[in-house]
Amino acid sequence: MRIGTLKTDYAADEALFDTGLQKCLLALALAGAVLLPFLASPYWLFLACLCAINVASATGLNILTGYTGLVSLGQAAFMSVGAYTVAVLEIHLGTPFLLNLLAGGLTTALVGIAVGIPSLRVKGLYLAIATIAASVVLHFIFSHWALTGGVQGLSMPPARFFGVTMDQPFQLYWMIMPVTMLMVLGAANLFRTRVGRAFIAIRDRDISAEVLGIPLLRYKLMSFAVSSCYAGLAGGLWAYFFRVVTPESFPLVNSIFYLAAIIVGGMGTILGGILGAIFMTMVPEVLKFGAGLVTPFYPDALALLAPVRTIVFGALIVGFLIFEPQGLAEIWRRIRRFFHLWPFKT
Amino acid sequence: MDWLFLAEVLLAGLGAGSLYALAGVAFVLIYKATRVINLAIGEILMLGGYVFFGAAAAWHLPAWIALPVAIVAGALVGAVVERLLIRPMLGESPISVFMVTIGLGSILAGAVQVIWGADPLRLPEFMPNTPIFIGDAYLAPKVAYGFVAAMLIIVAFALALRFTRSGVALQATAADQGAAYSVGINVSRVFSLSWIVACAIAAGAGVLVGAIGGISPTMGIFGLSVLVVVIVGGLDSMLGALVGGLLIGIVEAFSGTFLGGEYKFLITFSVLIVVLMLRPYGLFGRHEIERL
Amino acid sequence: MTRKLTRRDVLAAGAAMGSGLAIGIRPLAAQGADIVLGGSIPLTGVFAFAGVGIHNGIQDYLKIVNDAGGVGGRKIKYVAEDTGYKVDASVAAFNKITGQEKVSLYYGDSTGFSKTINPELERRGTILMAGASFATELNDPKKYPLQFMAGPDYSEMFGILLRYCAREQSGAKLDFVYSDTEFGRDPIAPSEALAKTLGLNIVEKIVTPPGSVDVSTEVLKLRRANPDYTIFHGYVLAPIPEFMTQAKQMGLRSKFMGTFWSSDNSTVQRMGDVAEGYMGVMPYRYYYDADGNSPMLEKIRQMRPEYQSTAYLQGFTTALLMCEAVKRTLAAGKELTGVNMKAGLNSIKDFDTGGIFGVPISIPGNSVSVGRIYAFDSKSKQMRPASDWIRLGS
Repeated sequence: MRIGTLKTDYAADEALFDTGLQKCLLALALAGAVLLPFLASPYWLFLACLCAINVASATGLNILTGYTGLVSLGQAAFMSVGAYTVAVLEIHLGTPFLLNLLAGGLTTALVGIAVGIPSLRVKGLYLAIATIAASVVLHFIFSHWALTGGVQGLSMPPARFFGVTMDQPFQLYWMIMPVTMLMVLGAANLFRTRVGRAFIAIRDRDISAEVLGIPLLRYKLMSFAVSSCYAGLAGGLWAYFFRVVTPESFPLVNSIFYLAAIIVGGMGTILGGILGAIFMTMVPEVLKFGAGLVTPFYPDALALLAPVRTIVFGALIVGFLIFEPQGLAEIWRRIRRFFHLWPFKT
Repeated sequence: MDWLFLAEVLLAGLGAGSLYALAGVAFVLIYKATRVINLAIGEILMLGGYVFFGAAAAWHLPAWIALPVAIVAGALVGAVVERLLIRPMLGESPISVFMVTIGLGSILAGAVQVIWGADPLRLPEFMPNTPIFIGDAYLAPKVAYGFVAAMLIIVAFALALRFTRSGVALQATAADQGAAYSVGINVSRVFSLSWIVACAIAAGAGVLVGAIGGISPTMGIFGLSVLVVVIVGGLDSMLGALVGGLLIGIVEAFSGTFLGGEYKFLITFSVLIVVLMLRPYGLFGRHEIERL
Repeated sequence: MTRKLTRRDVLAAGAAMGSGLAIGIRPLAAQGADIVLGGSIPLTGVFAFAGVGIHNGIQDYLKIVNDAGGVGGRKIKYVAEDTGYKVDASVAAFNKITGQEKVSLYYGDSTGFSKTINPELERRGTILMAGASFATELNDPKKYPLQFMAGPDYSEMFGILLRYCAREQSGAKLDFVYSDTEFGRDPIAPSEALAKTLGLNIVEKIVTPPGSVDVSTEVLKLRRANPDYTIFHGYVLAPIPEFMTQAKQMGLRSKFMGTFWSSDNSTVQRMGDVAEGYMGVMPYRYYYDADGNSPMLEKIRQMRPEYQSTAYLQGFTTALLMCEAVKRTLAAGKELTGVNMKAGLNSIKDFDTGGIFGVPISIPGNSVSVGRIYAFDSKSKQMRPASDWIRLGS
């Protein structure tokens, strides 16, 4: 039962986290995130980092698709732009990683704007296909440009931070997790501003939005820029994480993965992007774990893992769209509502 | 300039293009009737190829039985998919439906791997193997027969659309669902029928494609080229699918020959971008852009 | 969806999640006396056909070793994870396995993985790694000091093929057909240079986009070039058979050749009738090869009566060379570090692998640069030796 949410001024009403419980939970989560590296094995840290990177990218896509209503199948390609930018800077200039990440984000934002230009002319599915085309073009550039190392890609040195070499999940965690948290926080705040509300207006009905005085082209491109900036940052983190960037690192299926993540998580909610990305990253691990359990009774289980993973991936997309279109975020809301109404509604 | 060489490249391009056109027709059929972008078309092609393989190689059926088996399997899949996945999505945003078909593609690709494994396979030979020369120009026999088969199916299909009751019902539904319903057309039957026929065509196309290049679980990538074809031709135009298919086939053949195989995808998608910028509704599509 | 969520459900879910976490972050497994061979193995995905063979090959060799008492009295334990042939999954598997076991040997599944993990290998310094990749780039002891490959690298395979071509027909016309992937492009540039020095004439290079199925236009180019030898690389099966079929229909006289991963006997068999005369370069004897004295192949044939692929032999041989390196390191009384094991491996000189390699081998660097040309004989449905063992370098 939620009680005592009395608000005495507008600032409190507009606050991002408005209840004490929410703040407590948030503090707990934060404490958990800080403690995790000291408790978990490298493998779990590895997964945590991977989840964080995917959360960052999925949140970016959520801004574009979930909040602005522009479908993109180019998120993985945008990530590759960020990853390559970071790798090239790290290899040739050796600049500090924060600077490289920012540069990666900005470069990707520029590319995103270029890709977004057709968005005034075409919408919806056509736009999605235009982003596929952009992915193909980017893939071609990366696999034939000397600067990006051609099909062999680039291997880069690890990031360094005040003399500490960041090449272990433990150290990388301290780079990836804060950056991701800042990005998610930024996204949450974005939708409390004029720009963010304009995005939502465009999603809900672009003609009405234009009538309200929102310049469509500018805001759509802005959404593309923000979203691809997120993708670029996530790609940069990815590059530091794996330290090898090849044209095959970011296939089209990854773009589908991110779209699936926000569908499963819940489009147009920040929580949805987070939950969806974590969920979709962990599903293969859970399946692998399951296969390990079944192996003693059914030795071929491992061989079936990849196709089963593909099937589950597809089934999750289909299942969520048909049965739970609002995604995991809606399930979460339902659980929360249950507790809010707890003794009264059983 | 070596005219003979150009002619041969052109023929090869037409051959490849005819298969694009065939798959494109299946795509357009579904779009016309149900306004669904079926991104699983490549996977349904793949499924057709695999079912043919299963029937011909594992059960040792002759090709003339295996081919109908593959086509019927495609039709069945179409019916089931339409009823279980697409019908519940009626009225949802087109993007959701389009993501459902992506999910479906993933499920099919996984299922095929569970049953037949991930190795690339070759279909048993079932077409005559004597080389074909048109004048002096060589044409691979499989490509030639593929072309003839594809064109026959497309023509037969175009005639059926024009002159049969179901075909006319489909055209009416495509023009206006509500009006079609009010004149007594069973619209949901048209939906089912379009999926069944389209998936059957796609499965048949899959056998042709598989006969030329072998089958593998990654064959669904063919669907991407089909997507380019239908966008270039116009999503709701049969003629567009035909012209677009042949055009893309020729473009791929020439860019592959004179620039190198690595440019094929780049060039086709560049064509796509140009078309999207200049004529988003395609060469022959109806002049309206869906708000998705 | 209609079932109401009760408090018990939530508690149960919470408990389940908690216990799952507890399993995940339990302390690392205690160190055993066993020597651990970890593996990122592509049991599924596009490379599964090889991964399964590799998996069995490694297990079988370790069984032989362990049944005989292990290496220096220590058993070798094999811990593998499936990767689906994806680099990130391979890295995840590496992290998982090295997090749970004290790994000394590792088998990686792809060029991408070998490159990705290399800095980590050097940092750890406790692991000797080999893998399924024969990439030219990896055959550089300076850049990849703790890795090796159980055969010639792709450029060396081309070297063997080119030497054969030059020997058979001086000034022969060559055509390279390769896929537009890292795998496909790997040996092309060095091999062009080598062809020049051997007096061979490369008349055409044909690149096919990955996953392409229709090769009609490429075959037209092949016909214009009309080479004496066509070398495929970067494929497993498709589109090689279609190339050969159409080329033969056009009346081309070119001979067709391929590298390791497209020269397995069962793969070539699947090419159908056109496979007659198809040549492949192979560092090993085939499973059925009874010509030479090969006690190790005898053992394999006893353990597995049915045909085993060359991928199996690759896994088997990799495990064999790894164990030999461990044996030599232990015999020298040195600690099992990556550098020491690599030194042990490099001390292998004129070593008899029990007849898997047809000749005694040496591993001065990261590769075993020896191989032989086999040609497919459609009567016996087998790849048959077409040349002597060809050694490069030495």
